[in-house]
Parts: sequence; C-alpha cells; structure tokens
Amino acid sequence: MNAKKTSLYGTATVATLALTLTACGGSGSGGSASGGSYDKNATVNIGSLYEPQNLDNTAGGGQGVTEALNGNVYEGLFKLTDDGKVEKLLAQDYKVSGEGLTYTFTLRDGVKFHSGKQLTSADVKYSLEKVIADDSQSARKSNLEVVKDIATPDTRTVKVTLSQKSISFVYNLSYVWIINSQAKSLKTTEDGTGPYTLDKWTRGSALSLDRFPGYWGNAASNKQVVFHYYKDATALNNALLTNAVDVVTSEQSPDALDQFKSNQNYKVNDGNSTTKLLLAFNDKAKPFTDVKVRQAVSAAIDDKKLLESIWGGYGKPIGSMVPPSDPWYEDLTKVNAYDPARAKKLLAEAGYAKGFAFTLDTPNYDPHPTTATFIKSQLAKVGITVTINTITPDEWYTKVYKNHDFTATLQEHVNDRDLVWYGNPDFYWGYDDKQVTQWVKEAEEASTTAEQTALLKKVNEKTAKDAASDWLYLYPQIVVAGSKLSGYPLNGLNSQFYAYDIKKG
Amino acid sequence: MTLTETRPTKAPRFGRSSRRSATLVVGCVLAGLIALLALVSLVWLPYATDDTSGGRLTGPGGGHLLGTDKLGRDLFTQLMTGSRIAFEAGLGSVAVAAALGITLGVLAAFAQGWLDDTLSAFLDILIAFPTLLLAMLIVAARSATLGSAVLAIGLAQSAVVARLVRVLVKRVLTQDYITAARTSGTSWPRTVLGHVLPNIWPTLVVNLALQFGLAVLAEAGLSYLGLGAPPPNASWGRMLQEAQATFTTAPAGALAPGVLLVLLVIGVNLIADGLRETLDPATRRRRA
Repeated sequence: MNAKKTSLYGTATVATLALTLTACGGSGSGGSASGGSYDKNATVNIGSLYEPQNLDNTAGGGQGVTEALNGNVYEGLFKLTDDGKVEKLLAQDYKVSGEGLTYTFTLRDGVKFHSGKQLTSADVKYSLEKVIADDSQSARKSNLEVVKDIATPDTRTVKVTLSQKSISFVYNLSYVWIINSQAKSLKTTEDGTGPYTLDKWTRGSALSLDRFPGYWGNAASNKQVVFHYYKDATALNNALLTNAVDVVTSEQSPDALDQFKSNQNYKVNDGNSTTKLLLAFNDKAKPFTDVKVRQAVSAAIDDKKLLESIWGGYGKPIGSMVPPSDPWYEDLTKVNAYDPARAKKLLAEAGYAKGFAFTLDTPNYDPHPTTATFIKSQLAKVGITVTINTITPDEWYTKVYKNHDFTATLQEHVNDRDLVWYGNPDFYWGYDDKQVTQWVKEAEEASTTAEQTALLKKVNEKTAKDAASDWLYLYPQIVVAGSKLSGYPLNGLNSQFYAYDIKKG
Repeated sequence: MTLTETRPTKAPRFGRSSRRSATLVVGCVLAGLIALLALVSLVWLPYATDDTSGGRLTGPGGGHLLGTDKLGRDLFTQLMTGSRIAFEAGLGSVAVAAALGITLGVLAAFAQGWLDDTLSAFLDILIAFPTLLLAMLIVAARSATLGSAVLAIGLAQSAVVARLVRVLVKRVLTQDYITAARTSGTSWPRTVLGHVLPNIWPTLVVNLALQFGLAVLAEAGLSYLGLGAPPPNASWGRMLQEAQATFTTAPAGALAPGVLLVLLVIGVNLIADGLRETLDPATRRRRA
C-alpha cells in the first residue's frame, strides 16, 4: 500500500525481481544537526518497512538487505556518498590503462574480515565473480557483464580486463560487496569488512548489528544498531512516537508528518530521492506509437496538482527520467508541460480529434490507484477514456515487464542513472530510437565523464521531447528522527542507510 | 415462582410482538436510509465522481458536507456511490448464492448413497475454502472488477446456502403431505416447486438476508485489498483503504464509510431477525 523506494516494482514483495534490472543511487555522508557530546556506547534503533528476504544481495535479498548491510557490514572497493559521488573504500588506488579496458586496483592494507581473515585479492575476485555468476540476482549483473577477465598478480593487486570500454565500471563496483571467499551460508550469516558485525536477525521483527572492534577505519560512533521492521507505516510512526525507534528511514505519506513537525522532540528531514513515478506508455502499441499522442497525454495531465494531491508540499516536479542528482540532469519540466489546449491540438493532428480509449494497467498499491484515478479524470477533459485495470505486482512483472502485453502502465522507478534504459529497445516500454540507442552506447564507451555527460544530456532531451514516457513527479525522501540524533543519512538515494556516523545525544 | 405468578399473562405476548416489529422497523429504517442514498445516487450526486476541484483533504464544511479526499473529490459523493456499490455487491452475491445454493441443495437432498456423500463433502470443502482466496483466484482469471468480487462472494456463500437447503429439504421430504402429493401423481419437479420450496422459504429467506450483510462486508474487504471494484469506483472498502494513511489528519474519510458499513450490516441483520420471528411459524409457536 505504500509508495516506496523499493525498486522498479514498488513493493517489497517483488524486491527480488527488481534486483535483476535495477540500479541504485548514491547515499552516504551523515547529515542533520551537528551533534555535540554523544553517547559512544549508544544503541540506535532504526525503524523500517523493508525487512530483508535473506542476507545475500546476489540472491534476492531485496532492498532491505541493502539498507541494513550495505556499508555497515559489507563494503565495496568503492562507495557512493550521499550526493552520489564515488569514493575509494577498500581500493586504496586504481589505474586505468590507455585504451580504458584494463583496471588495476591496489587494495587497502590491514583490512580484516569479521571472521579475522585478512582481505586478499582472491576475495575481490571471488566477490566480483559471484555478482556476474549465472544464478546471480544482483542489480549490477548486466552492467558488470563487460568483465572479461579477473587476474590477481599478488595478494593486494586485482587486474580486471573488460571486453569493451565502460565508463560506469567504477561506479558499478560500488555495488559489489567484498565477501570472504571462504564464507558459507551467506543468506543467514555474513563475513564482510564493515564497521559492524551481524549480531542477530530475528525474522519478522529485527536485525541487530554490533560495532566491530577490529575495523580498519574509524570506529562507528555508536555501539549497536537495531533495525526494527514494521508491516505498515502507521505502526512505524507510532513506534517513533513512543520512542521504540529513534529514526524512520523513509516516510511514505505526508499526512503523518504533522505530528512530528509540531513536536520539538522530532526533526523532519526533506532530502533528495531518485524515485520517479512514471506513466509508462507501450511505445510499440497503438496509439502510443505516435509521438503526438504521447505528447498530448503528457500535456493533458497536471503533474503539479497530482504531486500536491499525493505528497502535500513534498516532492518535486520532474520533466524527464533524470533526477537532479544525476550528472546529466537538466530541468526539462517545460517540455510537454501541462497545457490542455495544446493536448487537444496534438490529438487532432494525430487523427484523434474525438479522443480514444485505452486501458491503464495499475499496480494495486499506493500511490498507483489514486494516480490512475487522477489521470482518468484529467484525460477525460481532452476526450480520452481511461479504463483502469488493477493488477498485482506479480502480474505487473509477467504481463507488463516480461510479455510487454499492455498499452500503458504506472510504475515507480527507483534508481539513479536509469535513463540508459531508453537506449534498450527491448525494455518493457519499447522506446526504439536508433539515435538514442547509439548515444547511450557511445556514452558508456566514452573516455571522459564530460563526454559521457554530454551524450546522456542529448538522450535526456530527446526522450523528453518524444515523451517516451510521462514522468509524473520525483518522490521526496523524508527521514524523521528524534532531535537528539545526528549523523544519519538524509538522501538515501537508494536503499542505503549508513549507520556508523549516527550519534545519539 | 413469584415471578411467574405475578407476571400478567397477556403482557408478554404484546411485548414480544411489539419488540418483534421494532426489530424489523429499526432494521428497515437503517437499511432503507442507505438504500435511499444508493437510489438517489443514480439520478443525482452533489459533485461529479471525477470532479477534483476541491482542495486536498479539506475537512467537513464549506461546499463539501464531509470534506474531500487527497485528490480533491467530494467524500459525500463517494459515499453515495459507495452505498450503491454495496447494494449491488450484496444483492448480486445473494442472487448468485441463492441460484446456485438452492439448486445444489435440492440436488443434494435428493441424492442417495455415494452421491449424497460426495455432494456433502464438496459443500463442506467449499465452505472451508476462504472467500478471500477464492476471490483472488477469480480476480486473477477475470481481472479485478465488481463482477469478479460478486461472483467470488456468491460462490463462497452458495455452499452455505446449499448445505442449509439440503437439510431443510430432507426434513420436508419426510412429511406426510409430500407422500400425499407423490401418491396423487404429482411429478417431482412440481412437488419441489409447489410443496418443498414454499415450506423451506421462511428459514431460507432469513439466511439470505444474513448472507446479504456478510456479502457487503466481504466486498468491502476485497475492495480494501484492491480486489473489488477498480478505481475510480468509490467502494466503501476502497475509501477506507485510501483514508487509512490520512486518518489522523482527516478522520472523516475513514469514519464515514466505516459507520455506513456498520449501519447497513446491523440493519440487514435486524431485518433478518425480524423476518425470522415473523415468518417462521415454528419459532412463533414455541415463543408464544
């Protein structure tokens, strides 16, 4: 029922599926009020709606496992900061060969796994191979398939050869957890290098992490972190009100926030998200094969009013697939902006002066049914009749995502940098533009980020003009915490929630 | 002893009969009011169902009797269409349940030996089968519409009706007048229509009235889960679901459909009670 930043698919129930194709955004550095003195041995209680399915992020652990373990228990060669930047973590240094096909990583010295074993290049090789293995359900599997060969010349050096240039390679590596190559049963236990070790996971209720005394970097500023899992947002908010939890990772409705805003004991943080709500047309199904029809529909829907209806004063209007935190962001909200008169004109030009009818496949959880109702009422004004067909997340996956058997649908897309899906003509929305496909390919093979950014900006503008989809709005990312708490992540641009900087006053 | 002696002999009879009618009257008033809302909604609504011109979650008052929802739609308008959907769901389900249930029940009553056992077992299984699961299966096969919900609820309830009909018919079949009808040459179909059904009717109609209340609740439950009438149809269950997240800031959105749901179900249950006491000669005789 909640709009969540789960995945491409929305609810936690299908988070597993999401892993097959989604990528995630940056998060990281702590935020909030600066903490003066704090309790070094505090236990921080975190409230969340997303319990992991299991503890392995290559085996469909879902967004919950990223939230709880990424950066806290497991670390990658690189990490994403709160503003989406890539920083070196377990990699002390790296070099790229002239033609951009060979990456040589030098590992940080003195890093120990929780089991006590020293980190070696063999573990990195193992971890990377685990992500691209055939049975891997990792979100980054398809991006990392450019990896052709992994060599380990010595215990601190890893040499990766790519089959083609991939400018996002280092960024993608920030999603690869470095795991002890000898670790077993990773679905229920862990062996990472992070600042916390797994203490206990009580299925259906909580997961607790303890500070790891042998951590290579700065020790966590709290002794223990407990993730408490709730089934619905109301229960979660009540837990915060009764101090059962100190912080809620992401609020899903604006209406519960007033009780916290008016209370000095709480702080409501409005951060940045990368989750976009899409009215996704099937660009290969009539009448949406016609650019003018897509533009008309986009122009006929008042996105600002929809955002206001669903999120009160929160969230942002968005004019394309690119959220402001992506390097190739441009404000395109004026392209195909709300203009019913223009919509009618475009429809007439496309030969639909009297309008047409289509079925909107609508996932059965919030905010989709409300959004569908709104769209139906808006499109009725320009003569388009919408039939709302409610479907479950599983049906969405089979009918829409796999079989492309739909005319239009609603879906939330969680990830940063997911504009590139418009370069794939086989993706579910069926946007097929040779030029865009070429630009996306060239951007990935670009030598500099400037070149990549320039190309993706072109993709951004072209898809926006073509109304490849109708991007309705950008979700807000709202973290509510007790006012004595500081150092928690604000943007949570994906499901990450770094807990090691959290200070409890 | 003293109590029985001092109690006036005629008073209870009056008291009871007036209480009887009171149950029926209160039930009819409650259900009737909501039926009136449903009927009026067919010809007149305060706002169009897709009118989103109201503000976001404005409270009761102003131009909106109960306020508006997130999208700015009038809540009272939704409540009125919701009462129509409740009646459609209730009547539809009961119709399905009655048609299927009576046919199956009569068949089961006439069946002998293994066929009787099989039918009884089948009905028991159908009764034990959760309505919700049945509804999900039907929705998966037919997509979520009010029709699917009605079909699912009706199917689930038909088992209850069938089991009752089977028992009632079996009892009636042992009566002398049936033997008389048969020996006088009346065919079985005519006997069933002319003698069996009229005799089980009082008990059956009471049960169907109760099933109506249950069907209304079940439809609200299915709509709450998104398996009932698709948006923008304002089913009470959907209204409850939509208002859940905003309950603390705009309670009217959840309270209004909740209260009407309770009133309607209490109303039809009272009607069922009233009917039972008025129609069933056995109860009447025993009580008097």
